[in-house]
Amino acid sequence: MFVYNLKLALLSMRRNPVLTALMVSAIAIGIGMSTTTLAIYHVLSGNPIAYKNDQLYAVQLDNWDPNSPYNDPDEPPEQVTYLDATGLMKAAKATHQEASIVATLTMQPDNPAIKPYLTIARVTYNDFFSMFDVPFQYGTPWSKDADDSAQQVVVLSQATNEKLFGGANSVGKEITLNNRRFRVVGVMKRWNPEPKFYDLNNGALDDPEDLFIPFSLIQPMQLHGSGNNSCWKNTPDKTFQGYLNSECVWIQFWVQVKDKAAAEDYHSFLDAYVQEQKKLGRFPRPLNNHLRNVDEWLHYEKVVPPEVKVLVALSFMFLAVCMLNTIGLILAKFLRRSGEIGLRRALGASRMALFRQYIVETGVVGLGGGILGIGVGWVGLFGLRHLLSGDAGKAAHLDWTMVGVGISLAIVASVLAGLYPAWRVVRIPPALYLKVQ
Amino acid sequence: MLKMESISKIYRTDVVQTHALRDFSLEVKEGEFVAVMGPSGSGKSTFLNIAGLLESFDGGSYTLDGEDVSHLNDDDRSRIRNQRIGFIFQGFNLIPDLNVADNVEVPLRYRGFNAAERAKRVQQALETVGLASRMKHIPAQLSGGQQQRVAIARALAGDPRVLLADEPTGNLDSLMARQVLDLLEGINANGTTIVMVTHDPELARRAHRSVHVLDGQVTDLKAVPDSGRRETKGVQA
Amino acid sequence: MDIRPILSALLRNKTGAILIALQIALTLAIVCNAVFIIHDRIVKMDRPTGIDVDNIFVVDMTGYAPDYNPETAIRAHLDELRSIPGVVDAAPSEAIPLSGGGWNSGFQTTPDPKGKYINVGVFQADEHSLNTLGTALIAGRNFTHEEIEHQTRDGYKNPNIAILSRAAAEKIFPGQDPIGKVIYEDTPDPITIVGEVGTLEGYWPTWEGFERQIIFPTVFLRPNTRYLVRTLPGQQGEVMKTAEQKLNDSHQGDYLRHVRTLNYYKDRTYEGDHALLVMLIVMSGLILGITALGIAGLASFSVSQRTKQIGTRRALGARRTDIVRYFMTENWLITSIGVILGSVFAVALNYWLVVLFKVSPISWYYIPVGILCLWALGLTAVMGPALRAAAIPPAIATRSV
Repeated sequence: MFVYNLKLALLSMRRNPVLTALMVSAIAIGIGMSTTTLAIYHVLSGNPIAYKNDQLYAVQLDNWDPNSPYNDPDEPPEQVTYLDATGLMKAAKATHQEASIVATLTMQPDNPAIKPYLTIARVTYNDFFSMFDVPFQYGTPWSKDADDSAQQVVVLSQATNEKLFGGANSVGKEITLNNRRFRVVGVMKRWNPEPKFYDLNNGALDDPEDLFIPFSLIQPMQLHGSGNNSCWKNTPDKTFQGYLNSECVWIQFWVQVKDKAAAEDYHSFLDAYVQEQKKLGRFPRPLNNHLRNVDEWLHYEKVVPPEVKVLVALSFMFLAVCMLNTIGLILAKFLRRSGEIGLRRALGASRMALFRQYIVETGVVGLGGGILGIGVGWVGLFGLRHLLSGDAGKAAHLDWTMVGVGISLAIVASVLAGLYPAWRVVRIPPALYLKVQ
Repeated sequence: MLKMESISKIYRTDVVQTHALRDFSLEVKEGEFVAVMGPSGSGKSTFLNIAGLLESFDGGSYTLDGEDVSHLNDDDRSRIRNQRIGFIFQGFNLIPDLNVADNVEVPLRYRGFNAAERAKRVQQALETVGLASRMKHIPAQLSGGQQQRVAIARALAGDPRVLLADEPTGNLDSLMARQVLDLLEGINANGTTIVMVTHDPELARRAHRSVHVLDGQVTDLKAVPDSGRRETKGVQA
Repeated sequence: MDIRPILSALLRNKTGAILIALQIALTLAIVCNAVFIIHDRIVKMDRPTGIDVDNIFVVDMTGYAPDYNPETAIRAHLDELRSIPGVVDAAPSEAIPLSGGGWNSGFQTTPDPKGKYINVGVFQADEHSLNTLGTALIAGRNFTHEEIEHQTRDGYKNPNIAILSRAAAEKIFPGQDPIGKVIYEDTPDPITIVGEVGTLEGYWPTWEGFERQIIFPTVFLRPNTRYLVRTLPGQQGEVMKTAEQKLNDSHQGDYLRHVRTLNYYKDRTYEGDHALLVMLIVMSGLILGITALGIAGLASFSVSQRTKQIGTRRALGARRTDIVRYFMTENWLITSIGVILGSVFAVALNYWLVVLFKVSPISWYYIPVGILCLWALGLTAVMGPALRAAAIPPAIATRSV
């Protein structure tokens, strides 16, 4: 019966090509517009490490100005000081923990024909790789020992390894950064979490860094972060060491714990830590530490800009207009076929059978509109990639989930749109159709 | 009242041209009740369309109510239809979304009468056909005979000089048909000229005279014996 | 106009009319709010910057050699840049105005740490900076060559003189002449205001303090150096090429990272707004088109359904214009119901946007203008079907079937 209905649907669509084209394109444009906005929302609102949501937590300590909070109403900074980052690393109260910054380094290729160039490094601890499940192509993360003794070791991103070594296994090879020799210990596989949850302060859709080096090199290499840096208190000691000892926040700190309960334990530890620090004259504000899991962190950092939410809302209203349009067209089409309906009813088709026939027909129109709509959405996103030149443009792409969502949305919407016309048409007594006209 | 001289009408398609009327001449005097008869395809419908200014014609001349209407533009033809002609259709042609009073009022609106004048005429016309009590009904709530009487009221409301009836009883059973015919006779008795197109000789017998159309031409003009014109009383609904 | 019978006919065929009215209502709500947001963003993007944006480009360099000396490198590069024909002026810069990245800090009129700090954007400048930016001094004076302090990042200490932008001066010293007055950051060291510039936009367009800047006579000595270069109108491309060639051959132990126009950075800062704008324009255009198609589609359906009726009306004396007017009136009625509902929708949608997304409340006149536009749209869309209806021959009335 479904196949028969399908055949009838296709026949009927061929009989009214203009009306069918109008319906399909109205749905396509509505679906195209909503998939365009939804695709961006989908990328931005995603949580690439959702399976560890109860284990990974961003750490926030409130070391801020006693006279005014870091952010209204009473939010602590998103980053921590060097003092606290190293202090918490040393305490090592979580299962895993890492502190990290982004820094720009000069890559000096061994080949003198290639000029030195700027490269972006994440400066972090070896736990970074296991906490965020970074996949490795060659080698491994550096050892705990390398962290402790500030060894000049480096993990390369796949792209950097491609550029420097043509993609070959470079483990054990050496490169020069800021006039220092670094030994390659590992090469990552392609890894591009979207959004880049572990560092939302410096571009939520930025690519991961070119390479990774140990955090303990900050001191000997006098590395400043190239990301966000906020200070509230003037530093009397005008040296690099003075900066490290200052109340400036510029380091991102994450912990991995076993579960929610362990997170609460860690929170108590943080409170105890801050109480200790208060005795040393730091942390003048009331106790206000936060542990936010990845979901909460993505939300808190407003990865989805309000504009995108506005666009999603408007595009769904837009879809509603397209569907109202379609309901009108379907109704017109069905009512024009009154005679056929009366005939089928007279030949013994039950109301339900006819109803099903019409719903299948609108479903087919919806499928067509959905497929075309994905095309429209693709064009929309293509256009957006042109408007958003930088990393933000990367959110403007379709994945298979979105293709599925778009097509299902089209079918569901058009079947919903077909319900009322189908119900109205089959409800009228058959005799009426046969008698008149 | 109505005078056609040597009217011809040709329908053209890409391949063929059909002479619907050729050298068609007919004169109807004021106050007459004329039946135009003929088998289907004879050209009697074309005659009616031309007589009612619904269609133009290719040759000849047509004078209606003393005015040469052969070469009028569309607006003027509309005006004449509106003011001097009353139509009664086989299928009634009531507007299904409007109630009885609104239906009768349609031509009056196009005539630009004010609301009071319209209301008065609607009332009168509906009283004439005996349906004043059904003003607020919609056509679907009425029987076929009642619907045709509403249509007659609509045709009368504008005080036309001539009533053109196209198989006015074609969709009605015999009882209702008789009522409608009685009504038409009554209207004619009050001085309104009536031209009725029909293929039914029974009906034609009730007219003053019959005209036979065959192959687009009037074949003979013979007066039908007066089949006992009766005074029409108000017809009961 | 004979509205009553049209209305009663409409009420007997409610569905089509309701569908169109709802479409019109949603369209009005969406388009009013979209156009309002579009206008809001255009105003924001077109604000005067106080900077000669079109004629400025930015050079980024990084020092790496063990013997790299930022002070000599900066001097050499500036000399080189200023000597290129077509260059108006060049100056070192720490951050890029309008780029979405920079430095801000709080200042106040007393040294009291509990005082009321006013946050402003911080510019570092030498005596060429104002001329390079194209920013006009409206009071006081520019820095002299001798006043420029070369500082390291870790050893940074505020100079004791500064220039304020008009907006910063007005916020810190409301209604007063700021020249000669003193402000403090978070130390008791006073900073004397020696000059005031007019409009000067800073780093973050979304920040309410976007127009508040303080300019210090500082040049930073660090590996990453940056230069703003202003050229004569029309010569930017040529000068950029020359600058790139010259700086690629740097002998100062540093290398050229990139040479980009200031517009490149400005465009990236506003590209989100720009994309939003384009999306909203496309969306509004499409929705108006679809609604027009819907109106035309349903009208032509109703024309084909009412062929006989129209023929009858013609036979009863309706002129062609009467038929056109009938459909126009009918459409106008539907549109009017739609826009009444739509006005409520538009205000509700705006309220929701204001509450959830901090969009500013819509100006009242958007709604009446939108209503006029939709009336016009509806009448235009219904024109085609109405003319087709008017072309129906009156002879249809006598045709059975």
